[in-house]
Amino acid sequence: MAERTSGMTARQKPPSRRLQAPGPQLRPVAASHGTIACPACGRRYVIERYAEDLNVCAACGHHGRVSARQRIEELADPTTVELVSSDVGDRDPLKFDDGVPYPERVELARERTGLDEAFLVARASLSGVPVVIAAMDFGFLGGSLGSAAGEIFARACEDAVAERRALVAVCTSGGARMQEGIASLAQMARCSTGVAAVVEARLPYISVLGDPCFGGVTASFAVQADVILAEPGARIGFAGGRVIEQATHDRLPDGFQTAEFLLAHGMVDAVVDRRQLQPAIARLLSFYTAAR
Amino acid sequence: MTTTTETVEREQRAFDAVELARHPDRPRALQVIETAFDDWTELRGDRLYGDDRAVVGGPAYLAGHPVMVIGQQKGTDPMSRALHNFGMPHPEGYRKAQRLMRQAEKFAMPVVCLVDTPAAHAGVGAEERGQAWAIAESLLCMLSLRTPTVSVVLSEGGSGGALALAVADRVLALENAVYTVAPPETCAAILYRDASQRARAAAALRPGVGTAYDIGLVDELIPEPDPGAHAHAAVVIAAMRGALIRHLGELGAIPLDVLVKERAARYRAAGG
Repeated sequence: MAERTSGMTARQKPPSRRLQAPGPQLRPVAASHGTIACPACGRRYVIERYAEDLNVCAACGHHGRVSARQRIEELADPTTVELVSSDVGDRDPLKFDDGVPYPERVELARERTGLDEAFLVARASLSGVPVVIAAMDFGFLGGSLGSAAGEIFARACEDAVAERRALVAVCTSGGARMQEGIASLAQMARCSTGVAAVVEARLPYISVLGDPCFGGVTASFAVQADVILAEPGARIGFAGGRVIEQATHDRLPDGFQTAEFLLAHGMVDAVVDRRQLQPAIARLLSFYTAAR
Repeated sequence: MTTTTETVEREQRAFDAVELARHPDRPRALQVIETAFDDWTELRGDRLYGDDRAVVGGPAYLAGHPVMVIGQQKGTDPMSRALHNFGMPHPEGYRKAQRLMRQAEKFAMPVVCLVDTPAAHAGVGAEERGQAWAIAESLLCMLSLRTPTVSVVLSEGGSGGALALAVADRVLALENAVYTVAPPETCAAILYRDASQRARAAAALRPGVGTAYDIGLVDELIPEPDPGAHAHAAVVIAAMRGALIRHLGELGAIPLDVLVKERAARYRAAGG
């Protein structure tokens, strides 16, 4: 695991080809004034045009990262979005400091993203069906799951139960938030209690897995849904490919841990292009809510 | 200069505590099962793919009462450590545990889980067969189980791989065990991009079970006489047995509806 000795050398060292193979799901690159380049094929777009396609490259189909706010906008019926407060208080159970105190890192992430936490939750309609949408933002400390994020998700589940709404979660995360130690591990159980309440209320839960989705998020609420959809090329798993290579010296199969790989192994229901996600979820919800 | 020396010493102490929890002579799950329980009868296989030897399980008697005992087995010598994959389960292990828990529920037997794993196995096969899916299902299984459950962290409780057997009504831990979000080496690789800074990670993450106790994830610490359970296995296992009997007795008096509700409420609040 010790292949990198400092942040500086890590940045200079090109990533290994094999890990690149599934397609790097990077943030779109600002190319020049008012344009943006697809990080996979380099094709340039006017920013507004790229955003219209939900950060999917019209040329190569690469799915760029999107914020939690964009996720909610792309799924909800216009004018129905009611954001739920995600101000659930601050936590620092270990008084963690790795050169920068943890509360400062959180504050910085807040400034960068305009979010309180790695989850943004909204009540909305999705093609007329009342839903709670809980969207993760990878830009907020890698979408990591800490106590506040866990509390926000659990409340989202409880809102869904209280108001008889379907639950839609959009998951993208590096996993547990290490800076909160054991308290972050406990969030896997906390979020599972939320899903258990939704299950008990017999409300539909659709999960969308975006790039990347790993660790304690994948190993809890992200895959506890009635239907699991994944975006093309998204890397999804428990342990990261680099960790597996170093721990086992196994050669990673082609396309390892991509959405398509997981579909072939029976782990997700479908791989859905982001531009088709809204109608795909609307159709699924129509089946599960028709009997009411 | 003093500060630097103090920091180095503090970090070394933190990592020494992790090393103590990893002492090869600490009591392992099979030893606990053989010593504290009677007539343990091993049941194997997940009925889906295979039998994971990192997880062992089956019915046994505890003080004359039938219980389902499920444990993560690390192994005691090079051969058995390899056989049991160092206590790192594959998805089959978690699915076997789920099968046995459902069986326990069916026959109204309490479940005892012995947690002892550095982490769930990280490997190609484990990912192909849905390691994350198996752990996620175990969490839901343990939350919904209509029978009393007690988990004991024996030595190492690492990552979701440990939590998958620890969402119980009562969680006990041996005093010198560690219970962490990930092993210090992994934390160091993630936080400092350098696994060799494991001592620094150990100091920052406070992996001792005392931290889990402080946040309410562990209910009771089982004392270990100096220098630790590796030198006093019989005493520690006897204390553990007494604690298990006491907790199962208390839980047995709670109506199942209340038990499941209280368990959900407990984990709903987990981690603050």
